[in-house]
Amino acid sequence: MKCVRCLHDTAAKFAEAPDGSGAWEMYVCSRCNFTWRNTEEDEVINPEKRDPYFQLKGNIEDLQVLVPVPPLKKS
Amino acid sequence: MYRDLRSFLTKLEEEGQLVHITDEILPEPTIREIGRAACDLPNGPAVMIENIKGHPGKRVVLNVHGSWANHALMLGMDKTATVKEQFFNLLEKWDRYPGEVKYVGKPACQEVVIKDNINIDEMLPMFRINAYDAGCFFSKASVVTKDLFDPDSLETENVGTYRLQVQGKDIIGIQALPFHDIARHVTKAEEMNKPLPIAICLGVDPALTFMASTPINYDQSEYKYAAAINGIPCEIAKALTSNLDIPANAEYVIEGEIIPRQRFAEGPFGEFPGSYSGTRLQTRIKVKCITHRKDPIFENLFMGRPWTEIDYLLALNTCVPLYKQLKETMPEIVAVNAMYQHGLTAIVSTANRFGGYAKSVAFRLASTPHGISYCKNIILVGPDVDPFNLEQVMWSLSARVRPDKDVIVIPYTPGMPLDPTSEPPGMGGKFIIDATNPAPPDLILRETRLIDNPNSKGFEKIISDLQKKASVK
Ligand SMILES: [Zn+2]
Repeated sequence: MKCVRCLHDTAAKFAEAPDGSGAWEMYVCSRCNFTWRNTEEDEVINPEKRDPYFQLKGNIEDLQVLVPVPPLKKS
Repeated sequence: MYRDLRSFLTKLEEEGQLVHITDEILPEPTIREIGRAACDLPNGPAVMIENIKGHPGKRVVLNVHGSWANHALMLGMDKTATVKEQFFNLLEKWDRYPGEVKYVGKPACQEVVIKDNINIDEMLPMFRINAYDAGCFFSKASVVTKDLFDPDSLETENVGTYRLQVQGKDIIGIQALPFHDIARHVTKAEEMNKPLPIAICLGVDPALTFMASTPINYDQSEYKYAAAINGIPCEIAKALTSNLDIPANAEYVIEGEIIPRQRFAEGPFGEFPGSYSGTRLQTRIKVKCITHRKDPIFENLFMGRPWTEIDYLLALNTCVPLYKQLKETMPEIVAVNAMYQHGLTAIVSTANRFGGYAKSVAFRLASTPHGISYCKNIILVGPDVDPFNLEQVMWSLSARVRPDKDVIVIPYTPGMPLDPTSEPPGMGGKFIIDATNPAPPDLILRETRLIDNPNSKGFEKIISDLQKKASVK
């Protein structure tokens, strides 16, 4: 399934309304970790209508790392 | 005062500061609309949302700290207490540190234990806080971690508020910035390639939530501060899957481990400066167990363009430590108002020991641990000005500032990366306005005689009582 943010085919359903009513389902992208509910507004879950500023282009590994992994210490 | 969230909600209800929404709603966009509305109202109440589509029986509470009335009640004061009165009340309570902690067997937060088939978004009524957030976040959690090399210390155990993005059934992304206390724990664990136990506690007593977002010293205990504010021992208990100490009466506790030496995409998220952060590579938590009270209440907060609930949680608790640190060496300090975006703008009321002294106060503020990166705009006002009263501060700027000698800009100092003007993120500057009255040998160019205030306190009470009576009719 296509992720609404990074547009890769890496999304899947991971949750649904717990009362079994089918009121909503939730999806997650395993690449960019965007999650969404199928009942949200179009500006949030429709790639055509999302603000392009918030779309994720480029490679995940090029994103900034805020806390770098420290060198391993020998115990 | 309050041993848990529920006893505070009872107090808010008695004071007319809690309302219930019982109409059926979808989580998005309604919950964010409710959160925005609640904090926009004067003395806005906490709001309990009780009928969320797909989540029968589950409840969300918002805006618990989201007004000065609620904040005053948290401190055990009358809900009409002014901000300045709340500041001095909190100062007194601060000096009671350390309060007591009490270990509890069979804590309320473990009445229900779930270890199998965990699915956070099905168990809790999560919602997307702002439209372009990367997912559903916990915005008001008290997150507990320990130093792996100091496992028995309550002092170096950290209880902090960090944003947490639910990224799957049992996966949570966490943003720990390098200057956050939790980052020390993460780094030590990663150096050894060890998972770091973590407990995400939701819906705790209001003073603990307040302390979790307070910049206290690394070796001070948030639990003991919460006890000092509440005036009763802080009840804690042991987590089920680790040695962590958790608030015994939390509504929910999510236990897990930070996965060492890996980073995953996280964010953006609407942040306290009123703008979105970026998408970054951050650490990640694998959840092992969720415990909760019977009939749990999910407490979260809406944060948007200031002011919203988060601004109340980053207000007086930012002011008090800065005040204490300045007062240590500068007894002339009267009060510190650093409520704006966690202290990005701060107003200090001080006397001038001698000419130019107020500027030294600004330098001192800019070199406190928090002030180094946060305190960007620093305004000094005289001891006769209430720094929490912006009309008085503006009067001071209007009538006491001579731009050629009272305004200083210091470029290229450390900055706060979430401040949208910090470029490159982490670099900043200092802007100092000295709006105090000059003291010798500084030049006093023109003599001024201020209008004295008449003795009006007696009539304030009389008129206010008359007004209350008039509104009852
Ligand atoms: Zn994606």
